[in-house]
Amino acid sequence: MSQTLNKSSEKVTTPTSEQIFDVIVVGSGITGGWAAKEFCEKGFKTLVIERGRHLDHPSPEYNDMKAPWQLDNLGFAPETLKEQGRYSQLIAKKKVLKSDSIQFYSDDSEYPYSFPKERPFMWTRGYQLGGRSLTWGRQVLRWGKKDFDANAKDGHGVPWPIGYDDLAPWYDYVEEFIGVAGNKDGLDSVPDGVFQKPWEMSSAEQFIAKNIARKYSDRHLIIGRSANLTQPTQKQQQLGRIQCQARAYCARGCTFGAYFSSLSATLPAARNTGNLTIVTDAIASSIDYNEATGKASGVTIVDAHTKEKRSYKARVVFLCASALGSVQILLNSKSKTFPNGIANSSGAVGHYIMDHFTGAVGMGEVPGLEDKFSYGRRPIGTYIPNYRQDKTDDVDFIRGYGFQTVAASRPSSGTTAKKIGIGVEVKAQANQPKPWYFRAFMYGEILPYYENQANLHPTKKDAWGIPQLHIDAQIRDNERKMIKQAAKDIKEILEVGGCNKVKIIETPNDKHITVGNRTHEMGGACMGANPKTSVLNKWAQSHDVANLFVTDGACMSSCATQNPSLTYMAITARAADYAVKLMNEGTL
Amino acid sequence: MLTNKITRRVFIGATAYVVSAPLLASIFNTKINMRKVVENGQFFDAYALTMLTDVAEIMIPKTDTPGATDANVASVLDGLMVTWAGSKTKQQYISIIQQIEVIAKATYQGAYQQLSLQQRQQLITELDKRAFVNQETDLSASYRHLKEMIFHVYYTSEQANLDFVLIPGGYRGDLSKAELDVIKKRGYL
Repeated sequence: MSQTLNKSSEKVTTPTSEQIFDVIVVGSGITGGWAAKEFCEKGFKTLVIERGRHLDHPSPEYNDMKAPWQLDNLGFAPETLKEQGRYSQLIAKKKVLKSDSIQFYSDDSEYPYSFPKERPFMWTRGYQLGGRSLTWGRQVLRWGKKDFDANAKDGHGVPWPIGYDDLAPWYDYVEEFIGVAGNKDGLDSVPDGVFQKPWEMSSAEQFIAKNIARKYSDRHLIIGRSANLTQPTQKQQQLGRIQCQARAYCARGCTFGAYFSSLSATLPAARNTGNLTIVTDAIASSIDYNEATGKASGVTIVDAHTKEKRSYKARVVFLCASALGSVQILLNSKSKTFPNGIANSSGAVGHYIMDHFTGAVGMGEVPGLEDKFSYGRRPIGTYIPNYRQDKTDDVDFIRGYGFQTVAASRPSSGTTAKKIGIGVEVKAQANQPKPWYFRAFMYGEILPYYENQANLHPTKKDAWGIPQLHIDAQIRDNERKMIKQAAKDIKEILEVGGCNKVKIIETPNDKHITVGNRTHEMGGACMGANPKTSVLNKWAQSHDVANLFVTDGACMSSCATQNPSLTYMAITARAADYAVKLMNEGTL
Repeated sequence: MLTNKITRRVFIGATAYVVSAPLLASIFNTKINMRKVVENGQFFDAYALTMLTDVAEIMIPKTDTPGATDANVASVLDGLMVTWAGSKTKQQYISIIQQIEVIAKATYQGAYQQLSLQQRQQLITELDKRAFVNQETDLSASYRHLKEMIFHVYYTSEQANLDFVLIPGGYRGDLSKAELDVIKKRGYL
């Protein structure tokens, strides 16, 4: 389906193969939406290619206006899916696959990929207009100076060609548009930004934060920074977005547009210019390369339904198909000049695959606040930023970890569904408020290992004839050492914080940790100053092909510890601004 | 596109069976305090639905709050067997109903549906204890799975969530009980 979305109406037209767009953006998720908005607002005719189905906003597929008893199967995904071998990775990723949001996740049996049997890789995808921006975690933390300096400092991976100062104004720019609820904490590790009113910490979180602050100078418990509107601006309201109603049903889609998604914000902004064309159900298989000009000439897609191939042409191509999606397209774009994939003279495409990982979880009861309660469902947790970057306390690893934490509401005593007890008495005791309970999940930084890589499977293809991606990535010694220290740290932090009955779960050394489980996959087309060792320059522009940019997670040269989407968005807006300058100069 | 949507919805079981599950046609036997279901359901027959209704009500009886029967647990469960349950679950639920019948006959020399309420309560209470003490048997696994679903169906029902607020309007994390009660009474922040 092809659509040109106009300001006053949503006319459907089909772009022709002869039509030359100014820009083609591959992917309509969190970065594709940004690229589309930037180019459209600057007057460029922009085609967005999305492999999944069309979705409106608000969509009939959103389930956010349903009470628990109104959900299909009362919230459960059908058991039959497992029997049929469907959604196997999402089923393994416990508590994600639910009937309220299953429509926004892709089934790996329909869209297969490959990995070594002994090292499963989890690739979570959402093939629809808006992509994974519909289901993302919305935690938007800036990276700090040390995060960008890390590769150069310790020699792992390719040194970043940009620093925090290069990106800071673009963080501002993005934050102002998307709307970030956050507190100005004054921390170098997660610099402050353009914030709307922060979410409130619960009494338990305030209690722990104060205790931590009394003991440590380097560790802080802060409220999460959330892409949920708390004080919508006029511009946000003009896009039909309103204040978050604290339902925490974000993954079902938000009728109010209260959390940022490309479907609710960037794509409508792009549409309002009259410059946007969207083609859905179009699976980008390759970037077309013109040997004569040395530039990308467009994108070849396979129709998701008819399986027919067709090509679209443009002056500039922005690849925003998700880290691994973009790697797959790059590697599959073979030509005489680039027999191993376009923009791959360095041979670095597909290498340095990263994700965050967790291996230490801490939890404990917060005593003395039994007279305190909460109301509403806050859509974000709290956070302990990375404090291990300076290799203090004689630790035996580099980089570090933060903790995603939460005690937003008091847990209930639950029911006896899974233990002895039926009848009047246990019914009367069910679901009573228990003491506050605090949980902390380590989010560690995987080093950029060249050996962690994705390549095209030599024989396996998907239903559209595209070679499957084979992904082989694992955590290694440095990450295992982090887990041990993180387990010790979080035990101490919880005790210092005033928690009782502290419980620590540490992943044993011999237990496989599935990379991709955090859905923060990064790398595969890293930025760097040296064209011999990196794929993209400091503008996320291909060293080899001047009119090709890759601005999704693939461009990341390291993964730090913060949730990465905000940084992707800032890199995309910055890259688009640069591309516009080149286009206006006539260079592109 | 339309075809794709329909296929997808049907495939993931996104039908309206569950929320629109009909009330079960039934007759209340005052002599033994049992509601006898008189029509077959979508998956269970009337006999099994009678058992399920009774077992669920024994587990979660009506008190000053609604019970399992008020929340239509058996009929919702019947719908879930069509839209949600896998083959193992289907087999387990059929099996546990049969096993309860066998235990009733072995214990009281009578069919479950002829036992007094007190006998049925004793039977299910004892089964509940044994199922959790020894979890290795198929009987235990089937019982525990069924119990879990009965509780899930009940505790996600509208009848069990009379104070549920779909749109809270905001979040507060540091409220006294009195402040919370005021907000709850108002129904929004």
